[in-house]
Amino acid sequence: MKVIVDLELCQDHGQCVIAAPEVFRMDENSKLVYDADPDESMRRYVEDAVDVCPLQAITIED
Amino acid sequence: MTEAPSSSSGPLSWDDLAYLPVSDPSFSVQSELVRQARDHNWCARTPYGLAVLRYDEVNRLIKDRRLRQGSWAWPAHNGVTGRFADWWGGWLLNMEGEDHARLRRLLNPAFSPKMLTELSPRFIALAHELIDAFSETGQCEYVSQFAEPYAARVVAMLLGIPQEEWPIIAEVSATIGLSLGVTFQQELPRIEAALDRLFEYCDEIIADRSATPRDDFATTLVQAQRDGERLSHVELRNSMALLVFGGFDTTRNQLAMAMKTFAAHPQQWALLAERPELGKAAVEEVMRLNPTVTWVTREAIADFEFQGLSIPGGTTIHLLSESAGTDPAAFENPAFDITVEGRKPHFGFGGGAHHCLGHFVARMDMSVGLAILAERLPGLSIGPGAEWMPLSGNTGAHRLPLRFTPTPVRSPVG
Repeated sequence: MKVIVDLELCQDHGQCVIAAPEVFRMDENSKLVYDADPDESMRRYVEDAVDVCPLQAITIED
Repeated sequence: MTEAPSSSSGPLSWDDLAYLPVSDPSFSVQSELVRQARDHNWCARTPYGLAVLRYDEVNRLIKDRRLRQGSWAWPAHNGVTGRFADWWGGWLLNMEGEDHARLRRLLNPAFSPKMLTELSPRFIALAHELIDAFSETGQCEYVSQFAEPYAARVVAMLLGIPQEEWPIIAEVSATIGLSLGVTFQQELPRIEAALDRLFEYCDEIIADRSATPRDDFATTLVQAQRDGERLSHVELRNSMALLVFGGFDTTRNQLAMAMKTFAAHPQQWALLAERPELGKAAVEEVMRLNPTVTWVTREAIADFEFQGLSIPGGTTIHLLSESAGTDPAAFENPAFDITVEGRKPHFGFGGGAHHCLGHFVARMDMSVGLAILAERLPGLSIGPGAEWMPLSGNTGAHRLPLRFTPTPVRSPVG
């Protein structure tokens, strides 16, 4: 599974971190960092993150 | 652009800050006082703590994890304890950390944009139905004839409440809304009675959907689960009550602020009528310039330093959304224009962990509603007798007579 975040759109609200903390987190400067290639078992949590992102900046490829 | 004199990165003293009397009923977030304070520095002092006035600082502090949501202590600030204070503390908005994250994870799927596509035609039909009642007369009292029933019936649609019961939603929400105002303490008995009624109502919905699940939003909430975890009855009830209160009051008020904005910009209103696809941009622009939530509150968890200012733990921080949205440093031309693309996002839905849960619904129902209003209420102006709320806290209109060029009744679409 490939996760892509449009960092131009991303406003670092951190809703994806709440939805899928295993894949997304905020660094010490409150900026988003994420695992672009998470385990398949994370899919439904990443899907929740895609849905909840206020900017709709996250997509899943395959 | 020249840098404002006192915005250097050196130490900043509270004594150097301008003072804004935010709790004064005559205070306006759009006043010259606020503009001058914003020119002077990124923040100002208030009776409660700090007001943040510029885009960049609002944007960073609204997401800063050294702050918690500020309204959690509102009952205590007003000397209110007991039932109301207990309920308040259990609402999603007033929770933090893992308790908040767990609840939010369970609630989020019901608010997904995916759930909305089937609602759009119902919003369109509702807007036409309401406008049909007055379009031929060329005038209306917009709050009671459109904003209020529209916002309440959208909530009723979400929860699967019979449409004709919308006045209950409106009445209960308006009464609970008094808790956010200056008369909070005097009104407490009424507010508690309204909450009792709302909770009874939510209990009925929960019982009904638990027994007979339907294909609707309320059932999605009742059945929400993740990794074997579910919402408790109290959590469900609290969340539904927050949805009713948060979804109705703010939408009604924001729809009134939209008319205020467009009445002052007749060319933009005509443009929206011609190009209904600009409805989405219209919502964003209205919320940038005339947000109903004029400030988002945060509270410092512990002592910390920001931009050279020492902020003690417990300080209440008002993040002024309109002041940030009109900050000349962030918006080269901040004038209202629904055709401008690529504006920075506004803070009308808050931000960070507490970003508005229902914003996809609100954005859709308001964009649909505004585009139809523009088409059917051409030549819009505000009539005599408008009664506005103070431009502070959560603002809007109590009464808003509108005048426009009469248009024929039209049978609802869909």
